[in-house]
Amino acid sequence: MIACQDAAHPVIETRGLSKRYRGVTALSEATITVPEGRISALVGPNGAGKTTLLRLLGGLANPSGGDVTVLGGTPRQDPAFLASIGFLPQGIPLYRRFTATDHIGAGAHLNPRWDAASVRQRLKSLDIPLGQAAGTLSGGQRAQLALALTLAKRPRLLLLDEPVAALDPLARRHFLATLAEAVAADGLTVVLSSHLVADLERICDHLILLAASRVQLCGDIDTLLAEHQVLVGPRKDTTAIEKAHTLVQAVRTARQTTLLIRLGGPAIDPAFETADVGFEELVLGYMGQAATPATSHLTTVGEGQ
Amino acid sequence: MTWHTWRQHRNQAYFGAAALVAFTVLLLITGLQMASQYHSVLAACSAATSNCGSLADLTLGSPPVIFLVILTLVVPALLGVFWGAPLVARELETGTSQFAWMQSVTRRHWLAVKTGWILLAAAAWAGAVSALVTWWSSPENALKHQNFRPGQFDVQGIVPVGYALFAVALGIMAGTLVRRTLPALAITLGAFAALRVLIAYFVRPHYLAPITTITSLTSHAGPAGSYWSLALGNVDPNGQMLASNGLSNYLGYGHESITIPSVCREVFGGQQPGRAAEKLASCLSAHGYRGFITYQPASRYWPFQGIETGIFVILAAALIAVTAIVLKRRDA
Repeated sequence: MIACQDAAHPVIETRGLSKRYRGVTALSEATITVPEGRISALVGPNGAGKTTLLRLLGGLANPSGGDVTVLGGTPRQDPAFLASIGFLPQGIPLYRRFTATDHIGAGAHLNPRWDAASVRQRLKSLDIPLGQAAGTLSGGQRAQLALALTLAKRPRLLLLDEPVAALDPLARRHFLATLAEAVAADGLTVVLSSHLVADLERICDHLILLAASRVQLCGDIDTLLAEHQVLVGPRKDTTAIEKAHTLVQAVRTARQTTLLIRLGGPAIDPAFETADVGFEELVLGYMGQAATPATSHLTTVGEGQ
Repeated sequence: MTWHTWRQHRNQAYFGAAALVAFTVLLLITGLQMASQYHSVLAACSAATSNCGSLADLTLGSPPVIFLVILTLVVPALLGVFWGAPLVARELETGTSQFAWMQSVTRRHWLAVKTGWILLAAAAWAGAVSALVTWWSSPENALKHQNFRPGQFDVQGIVPVGYALFAVALGIMAGTLVRRTLPALAITLGAFAALRVLIAYFVRPHYLAPITTITSLTSHAGPAGSYWSLALGNVDPNGQMLASNGLSNYLGYGHESITIPSVCREVFGGQQPGRAAEKLASCLSAHGYRGFITYQPASRYWPFQGIETGIFVILAAALIAVTAIVLKRRDA
């Protein structure tokens, strides 16, 4: 497990953060830091604790253990704190019978800072009708409306829980473009959970990887990529490599061994070719490592031959 | 939040207002008819100066309207089920609570404003219906003096407002606890009905100690005005009270039927008991029997209305307080 505690101006800082629901552990000992101005990708398999972490950060759930600091304070029921957080929950809940205009009106009455003009402008540029009930909009339109409403609060931290899960590729691209634009304009910090690693790679510069309710990896994406390497070589004993570095994942076939390692030093076995690791490879490597024994055999194909 | 609450519930408000207008028109028309009928018979009676049989036999109102007025008994339950139970439960069910709770308002503020308006609306609605029913029933009340009895007591005066506040608060709490509309609705209905019956039949008679009067069996004079009879029966020559109706059971009287001394049993002969009632009464009277009645006098009607309303309002406040604590502490 790699914790990141390296930021000078953390917007999010947790230490040993845990959450149990009726005896089931949803999040265990999570220690993370997200510096200001980052777009953090929150990835992990289903049930890894992504939603739980976001809910703890937004104050929608109370921790069972550990500490959480968001924007300098504990997430709490307080208008000033709530005003500084933009939270887009999974499933994008909107009032089915409210039109976009109704939602804008509601937001205006419920928030101290409210940029109604920005929502109207965003929706207009996306051709989303203002007078149509939200229940009758398409999934992409609903997601865009929800994002626009979340941004209209002018939050300092944006927490997005799988906002693009239900969208087609084009709608997804539009959504992420809107998000990237807003972030560039306002300099806000974002934590975005998604299964779509390729999408995340395009817009994120920070990574939190959860698996089996634990943080497996956390930090600046470029730094993480530089710290890891893929070794490809003949089928041979790799004990020496495993001792010098941290083995994340090994794929062994009859003729070839592919290792994903976290570098512990410069010494690399000359029998192995080294290659830089890609974002997706890194993510899948760690997710595979944390997988249960029932599925981990998939990463060691042919080992017994 | 007020804007938000209005936007969310304005259709319910329109529907409620329309139903209230329809009910008002119906009761105004039939109520005015009944009042003029009552007053003309009353005027004819005092002109005749004789024994006014026509007044006692007068039946007021048509059966469908009377039935509708009796049906207003369920108004608080309906408000609890349709306004109270979905208030929080539907938002939790559809996830819209997460939209509302991530705006810059605390959950407590959110609940306070929504609950405040819905309780106010329910009190106004139930109060309006009750005021209409009370006015509509006034000739009947003057004629039959039955408005202290369970059934009529429950739809007139101020108690319906207390019931409505309680039912809506119960719905809100049930919805918050079970998080789903349909079960919340069932719980609201069941719990409300159970508590209403419990209080009306087992608690209400004891708000103030009932009065027991010993009467002569041969005179028909009862207590004055709209009293509420709890028990009546005979007192035997030894002073033993023999009650003849069900409520006496828990009021502490024996519940055997009237034991008739053998001398008077002959009075029945082969005749119908109804015909023999007069003879039986004078026979029992002659053997030292007297009658008694245990009742709440008419003067206690408004104190009882106040006590019962107070009980339900306090319960409603307690339920809302519990709801607020649960919403604040529980994960959203």
